[in-house]
Amino acid sequence: MDSTVDFLRLILLSMVPFVLAGQGTMIGGRTGVFNVAQEGIMLTGASIGFLVSYLSGSNPLGMLAALVAGGIFGLLLAYLTTSLRMDQFVIGLALFFIGLGLSTLLPKLVIGVTLTPPLIPTIQDVPIPLISRIPFVGPILFNQNVLVYFSILLSVGFWYFLYHTKTGLELRSVGENPMAADSLGVNTVVMRYAAAIIGGMLIGLAGAYLPMVYTGTFTEGMVKGRGWLAIALTFFGGWNPMPILFGSLFFAGVEVLAYRVQVISSALPYQYLLMLPYVATILVMMVTFRKARVPAFLGQNYDREKRAL
Amino acid sequence: MMPVRRIIPYLIAIAASFAAAGIFIAAMGFDVGRAYATILFTSFRTPNGFVQTLLKFIPLTLQALAFTVPLSAGKFNIGGEGQMIVGAIGAAAVGILFPELPIYLLVPLVILAGVLAGALWGLIPAWLLYRFNINEILTTVLLNFVSFALIDIAATGPWRDPAAGHPTTIPISASGYLPMLIREPPLHSGLILAVLVVAAVYIFTSRTVSGYELVATGANPGAAAVFGINVRRMFVLSLVMAGAIAGLSGAIEVAGVQHRLIVGLQSNFLVLGLIIGLIAKGNNLAVPFVAFFIAVLEVGASAMQRTLMIPVEMVFIVEALVLLFVLLSDVVRRR
Amino acid sequence: MDDEAIVELRDIRKSFDANVALDGVSLSLLRAEIHGLLGGNGAGKTTLMNILYGLYRKDSGEILIRGQKVNIQSPRDAIQHKIGMVHQHFLQIGSYTVLENIVLGTEVAHRFTMNLEEEARKVQNLCERFGLQVDVKATLDTLPIGTRQKVEILKALYRGVEVLILDEPTTNLTPQEVDTLFESLREMVKEGMSIVFITHKLREVMGICDRITILREGRKITSMLRSDASEELFVRAMVGEDMNIEKSVFFARETYATASVDRTFTPILELKNLQLVSKEGVPLLKDINVAVYPGEILGVAGVAGNGQHELAECAAGVVRPTGGRIWMDGEDVTGASIADLAAKGLAYIPEDRLHDGFLPRANVAQNLILGYHRLQPYSDGRFIDWKTVFQKSREFIQEYNIKTGGPQDPGGNLSGGNIQRVMIARAFSMPCKLLVAHNPTRGLDIASMDFVYRKLLERKNRRNATLLISEDLDELMLMSDRIAVIYRGQILDVLERSRFDKYTIGRLMSGIREVA
Repeated sequence: MDSTVDFLRLILLSMVPFVLAGQGTMIGGRTGVFNVAQEGIMLTGASIGFLVSYLSGSNPLGMLAALVAGGIFGLLLAYLTTSLRMDQFVIGLALFFIGLGLSTLLPKLVIGVTLTPPLIPTIQDVPIPLISRIPFVGPILFNQNVLVYFSILLSVGFWYFLYHTKTGLELRSVGENPMAADSLGVNTVVMRYAAAIIGGMLIGLAGAYLPMVYTGTFTEGMVKGRGWLAIALTFFGGWNPMPILFGSLFFAGVEVLAYRVQVISSALPYQYLLMLPYVATILVMMVTFRKARVPAFLGQNYDREKRAL
Repeated sequence: MMPVRRIIPYLIAIAASFAAAGIFIAAMGFDVGRAYATILFTSFRTPNGFVQTLLKFIPLTLQALAFTVPLSAGKFNIGGEGQMIVGAIGAAAVGILFPELPIYLLVPLVILAGVLAGALWGLIPAWLLYRFNINEILTTVLLNFVSFALIDIAATGPWRDPAAGHPTTIPISASGYLPMLIREPPLHSGLILAVLVVAAVYIFTSRTVSGYELVATGANPGAAAVFGINVRRMFVLSLVMAGAIAGLSGAIEVAGVQHRLIVGLQSNFLVLGLIIGLIAKGNNLAVPFVAFFIAVLEVGASAMQRTLMIPVEMVFIVEALVLLFVLLSDVVRRR
Repeated sequence: MDDEAIVELRDIRKSFDANVALDGVSLSLLRAEIHGLLGGNGAGKTTLMNILYGLYRKDSGEILIRGQKVNIQSPRDAIQHKIGMVHQHFLQIGSYTVLENIVLGTEVAHRFTMNLEEEARKVQNLCERFGLQVDVKATLDTLPIGTRQKVEILKALYRGVEVLILDEPTTNLTPQEVDTLFESLREMVKEGMSIVFITHKLREVMGICDRITILREGRKITSMLRSDASEELFVRAMVGEDMNIEKSVFFARETYATASVDRTFTPILELKNLQLVSKEGVPLLKDINVAVYPGEILGVAGVAGNGQHELAECAAGVVRPTGGRIWMDGEDVTGASIADLAAKGLAYIPEDRLHDGFLPRANVAQNLILGYHRLQPYSDGRFIDWKTVFQKSREFIQEYNIKTGGPQDPGGNLSGGNIQRVMIARAFSMPCKLLVAHNPTRGLDIASMDFVYRKLLERKNRRNATLLISEDLDELMLMSDRIAVIYRGQILDVLERSRFDKYTIGRLMSGIREVA
């Protein structure tokens, strides 16, 4: 019984990077900005988050730094695509390269090359008084770290915002038909910038989560493809906040399962378990991709003065 | 060939990124002049440096082509790494399993095995795209991660070399080694293969009917389909070709350089290949020139880290900045 | 009609790169008038109004509203000045409801819950006032075109506009629907609104407009009252001195006299019992039986979205029919691909040049050989003979008056009209027994339209057949030997020349079959 509780707790713990990166991708995508730089932004977020936390002794400060770094990536993405109208995929790749390079360069410059990488304390769990004592559900849902709560509240908040507020209606319209939105006075440029920046911030934070919760340090390649998986997750979730939240549970579940099985039985070579998240993602995509509902203008830039062909 | 005027934006981009990085390097307290001298000239100071550059040039060119060929059809192949690894596994397998074959049979077979294995690794995302309409960016990347596990299995399985400190296989049979062009410093004939591939790709895309259909597909798949081009087949073809080319790069590394399967052989060739392909703006003829330039920078970067303690990532940032400035120069030209 | 000018445009200039779209145009719009803005394609009418509506930035000139100089930087400003615009291609969010489309961008009573009951009531009131019935809860992409246009108009009325710009509003309406629209417009004018009515159809303008301004090549030619207007004046103003109007096809007064077609010969195209069902099981074409004879132009009339696109694609071999047979010059070609048919002498001009007809990222030469790239003289099946391709391309650029830097020029540099010329050049580049053309003159100015009509008539002399699908009824009545009317995927009737009548065809277009 205990081990089931642990298992489920671990899933909720592990879903955070997926939720944050997924929602970050989603919000930008709903305005038509298709971010494919997640892997690089998460790496930079992990690297900068770790370094600032190490230097300042404060994890929250590290998270803030990761938010800012991610926001800058988002700003660059918005500027280069929305204002300069460059190809979104190409710019996404370019930002991925930059994030990749920065994330390995900065630790070498700040800490230098050592055999024993320094550690930061991982963030603590914050049990919610009273409810965290409810048997079974309590420890799983209400005795987690701050970012787990944040992920859940963020997802619900995004859902309500997109479907039950005036600004949400306007934001979605920019991704569905920017010409229509523009012609009615909706500020498509501000929407795209805001969504890309907020999205970048969330993705950066997703990266910082990794050293602050899992390992206590930064290692090259620690994101392990979760940035790319976040893109797949966003497609499964139909670019919709609540399905993305639930989809994250699935991805986290596969990750935790692979880890658990590896620990329990050494009969299966561990490499097969390493493959599991990626293969599982491909299999799920085979089932869901056909029906995925995608914002109509995802990945396309809008130029008001472009004359209709 | 290429008119001089067209190179100017590239030169400006290079100068600008060197300047930007230079400020950073100086701020960190390093000697900028020596750093740049090392980066740019190491390749040309010694014969060994030049050969090292050529040895990097080969996989970089092939990785870049593995990206630009599907790009002509509008598809993004980010899986060159996995395709290279799987190609290397195939090549090493043949090289280890058939030691009794003479050199004129084993070498072609080893190379062929690599090409086919890579082609297969490109066929999977191609089929997923064809049948389920799954975005190839995702599938190619995911298969990279799967290939990491596969090479780990291969290098720690029955072929593993127990004497090595790092996961590696036993060497392939000597009759599987690529013949050398020069013995000292060691330059293998993979260079010829790379040049042949460049020529073949160029002729294919610019002169054949299928090459035209590929380009038309990339320019507007809807219109291409309306006018009779089997667009989905073009996507598959381009991704399989890309896989074959990337698989070749893996086979060459095994048969020409390391003579065994080493985990990590893919190095950073994929990311650099993507950067090269993007800087070359998908132009297959420009790829080898850009690849050579990047190879020079990479050789220089290692030397710089050894002698001046400046991290190699600094050069990577320079390369990424060159890409960014080249892209921006397009915007400037538009205005 | 009052004397007070509600909007005044003074000396507006606008260029796109090297192309001067507007060269100092002035226009004044009075209160409570319907002002026609007439001109051929490319004259600058839409550009001028897009500037007034804030979608384009003018290079120079002034805009005055109610006598005050204003600065309109975006549609938001225009809306604040009570200006509204209904575009030729509706700007709607297909997945939203009618109500959501209408209130998008406005202030609503409950912005944090999106309870839109109050807004729904306001829209209902407008519907009743102006005779524009819609179901506000319906999702937009389930609605037919005529209704979607009503939604566009309601969007403007909801914002309380005093100036309404309509860009080619009658393109997709049956003649009867046009009459209904005109009644609604007259209601709006009675309440004091001013309307700018953009069109290229000079006969329409006489029916509804109080004053008319004519543009040609970015310049205003003249403005006149309806009482002073006549067709001759319009024609001369729209085309200038260069075109020979007497000899032109476009302005032919009588329906163009042609030798009658001999139907004893084998038809070049015959569709027998053609069926097309979509993947989801929706019938798109039902029991189509038509034949096009040598030397004939068979017109297909209908409101857009009634199966024309599917008919064109089946006839051209782009899509395989789910039932029935297709014969080309006596040969059963059912299921043959467009590539096979091209080799047999078929050419296709698709309607949607952006998606279906053109490669913006390829150069002009590559665009000109699309579909023929496997055939002589361009290739031997394996390699492409670029030298021949470029040579032929230069010839076509010359003959079809395609404004471009040359065969190597990237397609993306071409304007809409020039892209259409490339598609037409391509269709006429090879000997062609059967031409399937869907809206071939879209986006062309009058002189070019004339050129195309001439080329189509030349085909008759060579005894080639043409399937001309068009949403421009005037064009069909001018060019066709017979007209088939398509409605909801079925051919309701095929009319001989002697029975050509706008209102008869209009009824068929609305699905009303003739009672015997």
